[in-house]
Parts: sequence; structure tokens; C-alpha cells
Amino acid sequence: MRTAAKTVPRRAFMWPSARAVILGAAAILFVGICVLPTVYMFGVSFAGVDGSFSFYHYRQLLLDPRERDLLLNTALLGTGTAALATIIGAPLGLLLARADLPVKRFLRLALVVPLVIPPYILGLAWIYIGGSAGVLARVLGHDLLSHWTYSLTGAVITLSIGFYPLAMLATEAAARRVDAQLEEAGLMVTRPLRVLRRITLPLVAPSIASSALVIFVLALSEFGVPGLLRVPVFTTEVFTAFAALYDFGAATALAVPLLVVALIAGVAVKLLVGKRMITTRRSTHSGLALPLGGWRALTIGSVVVVLFLSVGLPLTVLAIEAGRVERIVFAIRTSSEAIANSIFLATIGATLIVALAVLLGYGQARARTRLRGLVDLVFIVVFAVPSTVVGIGLINLWNRPGLPGEVYKSTAIIVIAYLARFVPVGALILAASVRQMPVSSEESAEVAGAGWLRSFARIVLPQIPNGLAAAWVVAFILAFGELGATVLVTPPGESTLPVRIYTMIANTPSSEVAALALMQVGVIIIPLALLGVLARGTRLKW
Amino acid sequence: MDKAFLRLIEVTKRYGERVIVDRVSLDVAGGEFVALLGPSGCGKTTTLRLIAGLETPDSGEIWIGDKQVAAEGRNLVAPNARGIGFVFQDLALWPHLTVAGSLDFVLACAKVPKRERTKRITEVLRLVRIERFAGSHPGQLSGGEQQRAALARALIGGPRLLLLDEPMSSLDADLKTDLLMELAGLQRSLGVTALYVTHDQAEARALTQRIVSMREGRIEQAGFAGEPVNEFVTHSEHEKTEII
Repeated sequence: MRTAAKTVPRRAFMWPSARAVILGAAAILFVGICVLPTVYMFGVSFAGVDGSFSFYHYRQLLLDPRERDLLLNTALLGTGTAALATIIGAPLGLLLARADLPVKRFLRLALVVPLVIPPYILGLAWIYIGGSAGVLARVLGHDLLSHWTYSLTGAVITLSIGFYPLAMLATEAAARRVDAQLEEAGLMVTRPLRVLRRITLPLVAPSIASSALVIFVLALSEFGVPGLLRVPVFTTEVFTAFAALYDFGAATALAVPLLVVALIAGVAVKLLVGKRMITTRRSTHSGLALPLGGWRALTIGSVVVVLFLSVGLPLTVLAIEAGRVERIVFAIRTSSEAIANSIFLATIGATLIVALAVLLGYGQARARTRLRGLVDLVFIVVFAVPSTVVGIGLINLWNRPGLPGEVYKSTAIIVIAYLARFVPVGALILAASVRQMPVSSEESAEVAGAGWLRSFARIVLPQIPNGLAAAWVVAFILAFGELGATVLVTPPGESTLPVRIYTMIANTPSSEVAALALMQVGVIIIPLALLGVLARGTRLKW
Repeated sequence: MDKAFLRLIEVTKRYGERVIVDRVSLDVAGGEFVALLGPSGCGKTTTLRLIAGLETPDSGEIWIGDKQVAAEGRNLVAPNARGIGFVFQDLALWPHLTVAGSLDFVLACAKVPKRERTKRITEVLRLVRIERFAGSHPGQLSGGEQQRAALARALIGGPRLLLLDEPMSSLDADLKTDLLMELAGLQRSLGVTALYVTHDQAEARALTQRIVSMREGRIEQAGFAGEPVNEFVTHSEHEKTEII
């Protein structure tokens, strides 16, 4: 189309191409749903008490002792989780990439499980284990750990268990990308362990660092775990101000500093990923194997311990708490409305997310270099916006008379919250898929006379089935477990499963909560297993 | 050739069912410069990797100097203890280290004291004429400069044997000719034994004293540069470069 425009002597009116119209509409939707709440909140951050421009909130952040405490707690939660999750995950990733471990494919799958379990369910399991009436207290006869379970340390440990798979997957992928010749060049001068330390590790380090930053952002954004473990951070204070104290102004004010920290972290992620060294594998030889030697038994033992603590123990404890099958059936029956709601809304949400994300991802992958970097930055930054900030932003935008108000009063606002939070994730996944497809494959369709729409539907989409499936499953898992934004925007009388679990924890016998939590894990595992079956044979990268 | 410095005796390497290197025997005298010539997939790179110890032979023996480095399907000496300098096809310059930094790493691995390292780095960089780029990262160098940096890394440890795996394949013709001349000169002045893998007959002729041609895992013909070689190389461009 561009070449056609060049041949027209004067600027005559031309109908915009289908491509421009559709991608433009996707961009407008993205800005309206995902970007606007954040921009609105950012604008509000510069409004003083009387509404005029001021740095009041920023001054408060640094001067008010309570806000300073919150900032400290939030920062400690973020950095602590990033550090611990990386310490657990990075060595595991290196082992998966380079060590000779038995049943490696199973280990990888099992080790990823904590990532797909919503963090507050892990938090719930840890309360059952270490709380004042928990398993440990009952076994030992006295309360040993509860002061420690309900603490910043407890929250850091719980979130690290939830997020270490990210560090693991990033490290493994990076270690597999390292060109084997670089390591062989090292082998010519020194022993394998030193090559791993001095050559491989520095090459993998940027990927490990960027995954640590992503974990930092996710921990900042977490609402459920600090809420359960009574650690005051910005996300939980936003919720308290809004839901308990009905002080919307204070909730907005508390959301602002969180937004600023998250935006800075998001920009840092982008910068770090952009600078990543090119270590693409060109050689066909397999990379340097990690010589375990006499440490083999101990290494396998450590992996098993991580697996037990992060997957086996929490799920077992939940199952024990849930009790007999009849109890689980009863719990499901009494919460059937919330469960049905959650499955329905998450299915709609994931489908809409993929529909929008595939256009955005395509646009990003095929944009000119400069624009591509900018769009990438926007995706990452929007994803970094914490859940409760998105919630407050959505309330600010949609809770007004007229059509927005009608949407706000219906469950549609929950789907909008899902979109606002998770479209960027889907777009990043699908942009990566599209980028792997050569442009020439579309150009040849164009030469053959296919219009853009036909080429997109018949040439592009059929080549990225794995990306589409992965994006849908990831979006479904994230939407199905979403708590921080939904808990704020859910209309009265409606509920989703996470919201119900979260509000029930305070005032219902724990067996029912445990049963619902188990049920939620089950719903997440099923699409994941389906994806596993679909992707068998082909290797998914996401 | 009374005493071979590098000796391969009936060396065989298989990947599954496929025989990649098939009972290859080869003698290279000390200080000799030999080209291993053949089409892609003929097993020449694997032969080089077997000598370096990056692959393990299934059978046969490999001797370097008076040391048996591989026998009976096992590597007896680790790659870093064989006294070999290796120039990789993709050069494999470490992207996170500067030129001087990677040379320093090599010497540190060989436990050379800090003061001597600096001296030797300066020397070898002068030898390959890239002193100016001591502080540069590989990404900042041109193709020819990267080539020289890779050569410097292979030479700095003072190897007794230099193995080169098509290191010039990514360069354009003019640059290649210049570098080849220089390489041949360096090899002679240092007196290092060298084995050069290539699929380009002109390159092999320009450079080396002897050409060994390989096909389908076997050594087909061993002759001296300038002698007619078998049919698969005769139709490639030849006589373009005179023997130095």
C-alpha cells in the first residue's frame, strides 16, 4: 500500500487499507482499556488536595512516616522476593539446561506448577502449615512459627515459591541459547567448571537479571499474599482505604506511589532486555554439560526438596484441610455461582485478550524498528502496573453516569479488568511468535494477490497456533486467578472464585476454603495439561 | 617424514549409525602446515575436534608430541592440557570480554603471573597487528579484526599445535588473501605445527605445504600443494594465488 501511495502524483484521497483500519482499531481499544486507567492515575498523582497541580503526593511519600514505612515494606517485599526467587530459580534453570538429570521433562513441568497456582493459594497453604492453628503447631504441640508466618519474611518466602519458575525458565532458555563454540573456546584453555563460571554465566547473566526485575514488579503488584499474611504494603493499603474505610481519595493517593515505582521498574526491564548480548546459538554441537561428579546425589536431592516444598507440601496440606470428597463437593455446591462466574468470565476474558493481543503483537512485530521498541516499552510498563492500581483507575474512569456507569455496574467491568491487566502479556507472547515467521511468507501472499485480511487469516494465523494456544492458556490462568483488581471492581452481589476465597478466609471454616482453593488449582491444571498435549512434539517457547 | 608431531592412527567417530570419521590415519611433522580439504559434511571438522579433544573418538589413537591423548574410545588428556590453539569457524570471541580481557583470561587459566601477562598480551597483539583494539569488545571490531583477535587468542598460550576450522569463511575474497599470506608467514616464523580445515582449494594451496583431502569420512589423497588433486577439487577455482 505504501508503494501505491508513492506513485500517486498528488495527495489524492485514499481509503485507508484494511490493515490500517483494523490495527488502528486494536490500538485505540488497547489505549482505551489498558493505558487510559494508568494515565488517569498518573495525572491524578500530580493533583493536590484541592485539585490543583502539586507534588503533594510525592512529598507525602518521602515525608509521611506511615507512607515511608509502606514504601520500605513494599520495596523489601519486591527486592526480597526477586532475590530469593532468583537464588532458587537460576540454579534450577542451569541444571535443566546443562545437567544430566533423570526424568528432566517431568521435573521441568512439575517445577513450573507453583507459577500457575495463584500466589494467595500458596499463602493459604503456608498459613495451614505455619499458622497458629497450623499443621506444625498441632504436631509440635505449641505455636512455633506463626509470628514468622505472618511477617514480611513469610510473604517473601511464599511469593518466591510462586515466582522462582520465572527465573528458572529464563535462565534455562538463556543457557540453551549460548553458542556452544564460545564454551568450547573456553575448554581449550581451562576446565569445564571455570568455563561455566567465567564464560557461560556472564553470558546468561543479563537474562537472569531481567527475570529478577520481572519478579520484582510482580511482587510489588501482589495483593493476595501480603493481604493474607497481614503485611502492610501499598497494594493492601489501597484496598483497605477503599473497601474498609470508603476513602476513595486516600486509595487513589496510596496507589500513586506504587504506580511510580512500578513504572520505573518497567522501564528498567525494557532497558535491560534491550541491551541483552547476542549469544544466539549457531553451532549444532550441544552445549557444555554441567559436570555434577560426586555432587550428583546432593543435586538431585536439592531439586526434590524444592519440588516437595513448593508443590507437594502445599497441595497435600490443602487436600488434608479440605477433608473428604463429600466436603469438597459441598463446598463446590455452595460456591457454584462464583465458580461458574469465574470460568465464564475468564474464558470470555482470555478469548478477548487473545483477539486483541494477536493484532497488537502482529503490529508490534511488523512495525518499523523505532516504533517497535516504543510499543514494547508500553507493553512492559502497562503489565507492570499493580493490580489494585488498575482497579482504582478503572473505578475512576468507569464509575460515572451514562453508558460507562452501566458497564461498571455489570460483570463486564471484570472482563475489562482482565483485559486491562493481561493484554500486554498476550501481545508480548504473540509478537514473539510473529517475529519467528519470515516476512517473505506474507509478501508472497501479497504478490499472489491476497489482501491483508485474507493473508492475515490464511497465512499468518495458521503459522502461529502454538503462540495463540499459549497466549490463551496464559491469559486464562492469569484471569482465573486475578484478585487485586477484581476485588475492587466486582459489582455488589457478584463474585469470582478468587474474590470469594479471599473474603471467606476470615469468617468460614477453613476446610471449605481449602476445598475451593484445590478446586481452583484443578481448573488451572486442566487447560495447561491440554496445552501440553497439543504442544507435544513441537517445542513451545514462552 | 621420520618423526610425526601429530599422529592419528585409525581414528573412527560415529554419531549413532552414521560413520563421520572412518579409520583416519594422518601424520603431521613438527612445524608443518597442512590443509585438510574437502566438501562440507566430509568429516574434516570432526577430525579437527577429535584432535582438540572436543569430541571423543570411538576407536583409534591420537598422539600429540610423544603423548597419547586419546585411545580405546576415551580422551586421555583434557582439551586445555593438549597445548593446542584453536580458531573456530564462527571465531567464538567471548562477547562479554574485551580483546585484551579474553587474552588475559587465557593466560590466567594457564597460571601465568599478572606482570608477565601484560607483556605477552602486548606482544601477541603486535604480532597480529591489532594493538589498537586491546580495549574493544568483539562487537566493535570489523570482520578482519575479529579474525586477528581470534588468532591472537589461539596463539597467546604458546601452543605447539594450531588448529584452524575454516576461520576465513565469512570474509570477502581480497581480505581473505591478505590474511592468508599473513597467517602463513606467522606460522613459519613461529614454527608452530598447524592444521587448517577448508573446503576451498585455492585457500589450501595458497597457504600450506601439504594438502590432505577428505571425502565421506576418509582420507582420499595426501599430496603436496601444487600437485593435482582429485576430481572434486580440480573444478574449483585454482592457480589464482601463487604458493608463497
